[in-house]
Amino acid sequence: MRECVLEGQINGYEQNAGSCQNQKIHRHRHRIGHHHDNGGSSIDFYAVNSGIRHVDPVLKVVFSLLLLLFCLAADQPVISVIAIVTAASITVLAGKLPVDRYLSVLTIPLAFILMGSIAVAIDFSGNPVGDWNLFLHWGYLYVTKESLVHMVSLVLKAFGAVSAMFIMTLSTPSFELFSVLRKMHCPALLVELMHMIYRFIFILTTVQRNMRISAESRLGFCDFRTSCYSFGQIASNLFIVSLKKANAYYDAMEARCYDGEFLFLEEETKVPGELILGAVVYFAALTLIWWMLR
Amino acid sequence: MTKNETKVFKVLCFLCMLFAVSPAVSAMHIMEGYLPPTFCVAWGVICLPFLFLGFTRLNRQVKENRKSMTMIAMAGAFIFVISSLKIPSVTGSCSHMTGTGLGAILFGPAAVSVMGLIVLLFQAILLAHGGLSTLGANCFSMAIAGPIISWLIYKGLGKAGVNRKVTVFLAAAVGDLFTYCVTSIQLAMAYPSAEGGFQASLVKFLGVFATTQVPLAIIEGILTVIVVIALESFAQSELKAIHFNA
Amino acid sequence: MREPILQVDNLYYAYDEKKTALNGINLSIYPGERIAIVGSNGAGKSTFFLNINGVLSPEEGEIRLNGTPITRKTLPKLRRHIGIVFQDADNQIVASSVKAEISFGPMNLKLPKSEVISRVEQAMEYMNITEFGDRPPHYLSGGEKKRVAIADIIAMQSEVIIFDEPCAALDPVNAAMLEDVLIRLSEEGKTLLISTHDVDFAYRWAERVLVFCEGEVIADGTPLEIFRNRVILDRANLKRPTMLDVYESLVDAGILPDEGIYPRDADALKQYLQKRNS
Repeated sequence: MRECVLEGQINGYEQNAGSCQNQKIHRHRHRIGHHHDNGGSSIDFYAVNSGIRHVDPVLKVVFSLLLLLFCLAADQPVISVIAIVTAASITVLAGKLPVDRYLSVLTIPLAFILMGSIAVAIDFSGNPVGDWNLFLHWGYLYVTKESLVHMVSLVLKAFGAVSAMFIMTLSTPSFELFSVLRKMHCPALLVELMHMIYRFIFILTTVQRNMRISAESRLGFCDFRTSCYSFGQIASNLFIVSLKKANAYYDAMEARCYDGEFLFLEEETKVPGELILGAVVYFAALTLIWWMLR
Repeated sequence: MTKNETKVFKVLCFLCMLFAVSPAVSAMHIMEGYLPPTFCVAWGVICLPFLFLGFTRLNRQVKENRKSMTMIAMAGAFIFVISSLKIPSVTGSCSHMTGTGLGAILFGPAAVSVMGLIVLLFQAILLAHGGLSTLGANCFSMAIAGPIISWLIYKGLGKAGVNRKVTVFLAAAVGDLFTYCVTSIQLAMAYPSAEGGFQASLVKFLGVFATTQVPLAIIEGILTVIVVIALESFAQSELKAIHFNA
Repeated sequence: MREPILQVDNLYYAYDEKKTALNGINLSIYPGERIAIVGSNGAGKSTFFLNINGVLSPEEGEIRLNGTPITRKTLPKLRRHIGIVFQDADNQIVASSVKAEISFGPMNLKLPKSEVISRVEQAMEYMNITEFGDRPPHYLSGGEKKRVAIADIIAMQSEVIIFDEPCAALDPVNAAMLEDVLIRLSEEGKTLLISTHDVDFAYRWAERVLVFCEGEVIADGTPLEIFRNRVILDRANLKRPTMLDVYESLVDAGILPDEGIYPRDADALKQYLQKRNS
């Protein structure tokens, strides 16, 4: 289990220059459970290279969130499917994200949605009340037709919502998201905290990785007892070392006249009228479909 | 099959189902789309006063000493990293820690609610872990309810003169467990069992995650003790800046 | 008499009660100087830099910028005039695109947007990184990151630029690039302070060398004065520059006359030999 803690940390969020270059050349095989390049920063990497990166971030965020809300509020399988298809086509066709990359980003949430939904469909009772029952020693596990339908629509709804959100995430780098929040008058302290927490996540994972590699190279994980010892050592130093690094980082910002607000040059993006029109027409059509199916 | 064999088979089936369903709950954050809109809004509204209080606390702290920002953000990053580690546990299911106990001990529960909100937001948009619509519910369970219990235990046992390591351990571990209890309650409220209603559903969700969450809570407790001790020995000046005294 | 751009009087700083990191520093730095700061690890070089940039506030002592003492109120002015290129570019890089990263300083100076854009473009051109503009800096190579880190400070157009061990962890090509940049900056009239362990570099590049030892400045003079003084070199655990050794052995062996020429690098020695032979 201890190994897994570390493994997860490495695979999950750390991407340095080297592994990122690997990403370009090496085609990733999907392995459920191995969160290879599903980490936050590789999503950022896709976002930076997205074909619709230069579209106004506010438009992308608003469109994405509206679609998400619509999908949840409508709660209709048809709308969910439309949202899934829309999101996939925007991200893959306009955003030029390779299909296999898109699928691999979606694999983990999809797996969780599927597994999570099983719990909703299956119920436990003393009597065989379901359409399908499995008698166990002290009661029945049962599934009804309704609960199955409910499960499918739940899966579609959740997957539609997640897809809708990924329109935003896969085309807008995190710092642009933060600046959208700033424009929406989110308190400066919150935006600042987001920037710093985001940055420090990478400090923590980088420091952890280096420590682990250095421990491993000195046979720190050769057997169970040594592993436990090494893990404890790493855990106790990790936070301190990262904190010192974080302080150095903060000093460097202060040296550049930072005083509580992350200000960056943002590109002037004009929102083309036809994009807004397109979005309006899209949502009008969606509303119409919803109204007809109601 | 003999009668006994059937029995064994059924028990095994049951165990199988148990561990297959556990990710729903113990993947801890409630997934996007899993709560009806009214629940989403209601939990969100419940969080607001805590978040407001936390925000004013943090603001005051940062105004007084800008450098304490690094400590606050680091504790936030710690929550993110710890709670993103989905540990495939012995049973083959998935589960993870919360990491909020440390923040609660260092900064008090109000401040943690804000840090937790940001972390949950990151996990929702970057990892599709949790969700935007379920942000309120997740924030309440992980960033408000758990930390409050952690903090109460920390202060209470501290006053009662219990050994410090034990205090920190219990604060973090029980806070972690409580987070899961709240998540189960939230899920049971949204998905009452067709027959047994809220209670039956709660028992189902609670029973399912206890298997994976108890060991994790213990690990989280140990981890928090290790970090607190390390901070006290090597980061005195930073602790002084946030008025933390052992 | 030139006015010092930066004057430091009796500066003390301690990280904790037990040990002081700076032990009474007195210094005057004049506009346009090329200063190399040498001294072993932990001698107080980095702490000194953070103090004169206002990131750390001294326990005691005074810093004057162009004659005005620095107080809490005038601190932003100090930072505006003095830029630091940190040793570890990873600690310095804030933003997720090179352009945004370089704009961070000028934006904090609250400059008008058009000015920020032109400064960012200039700085990118200066450091030859225009092509990386939209790339996330964290994915660049070490040398490229260093160039971004330098562009960060160039865009702020500070009069004094401090480089904290800039040559550390750079490959020869990038180190040569860096030296080139340092020469150009100096020609443009910037005041440069560079901490380094590379005595050969200090010898050929600097016009003034400061030796730090245990939180004090134990020597301050021209490279020749410093590096020919065995007592100081021993006390600060410094090596002699190779060029100095080579020249002195040539003189000692009677191959070259004792003219006190002291060529600073291999090229200068070559030229000197050619001139003698022709």
